[in-house]
Amino acid sequence: MSFREKSLWVMLLAMGLAAFFYGHAVAYVSHEQFETVPWRTMTVDAPMVVMFHIGVAVLVAFAIVGHLAIVLFDRRTAEDERDRLIALKGARVGGFVLATGVFFALWLAVISTGNFGFTQLLLAFWVLAQMADYAVQLWLHRKGR
Amino acid sequence: MGKRGGLIRNRIRDLREAAGGITQQELADAIGITRQTVNAIEANKYSPSLEVAFEIALVFKAPLEKVFQYGDVEQ
Repeated sequence: MSFREKSLWVMLLAMGLAAFFYGHAVAYVSHEQFETVPWRTMTVDAPMVVMFHIGVAVLVAFAIVGHLAIVLFDRRTAEDERDRLIALKGARVGGFVLATGVFFALWLAVISTGNFGFTQLLLAFWVLAQMADYAVQLWLHRKGR
Repeated sequence: MGKRGGLIRNRIRDLREAAGGITQQELADAIGITRQTVNAIEANKYSPSLEVAFEIALVFKAPLEKVFQYGDVEQ
């Protein structure tokens, strides 16, 4: 497995871990709002913003520790033309997922009065887009193309 | 890519052995690509750019058509 593949695995796991943490944390801190107000009027409050920052910190910390670990056991290889082509193919799939998410988030923004729904949907699709990008790249690396 | 696209074949493995058993990693280092890319080219899964194709031919001091063939033609 090349350095690039290991790096992609680290980022995929880091993104999954951060998303899992953030999803659970937001469900926990917004529990009261869920029960008291209609979902269309829900707003992003301070505890959710704190959880977002913690989620980002988890992502960055896991990515740094993961990359330090693979650098210790593997020599870093420069990116070549095939790596760049695979990255472009991954980005194309990720871009499609993100565009889909932006469309639905805009639709949700139009029908909602609060900002909770569209911000969470947009964030979820951004995470999905990144994960799709990494997964496609890993698949293409494994496939050999 | 034409109608016969995807039929670029190569003799890199044979040439590596003929050159005294150059490894994929040594070939990759000589050209500035990764070992995985050399492996993908050898397995006919990835068609390299013209620059990389010429670089590979230069390493083996062979004309390009001796290293890469297009279609079913055996040379």
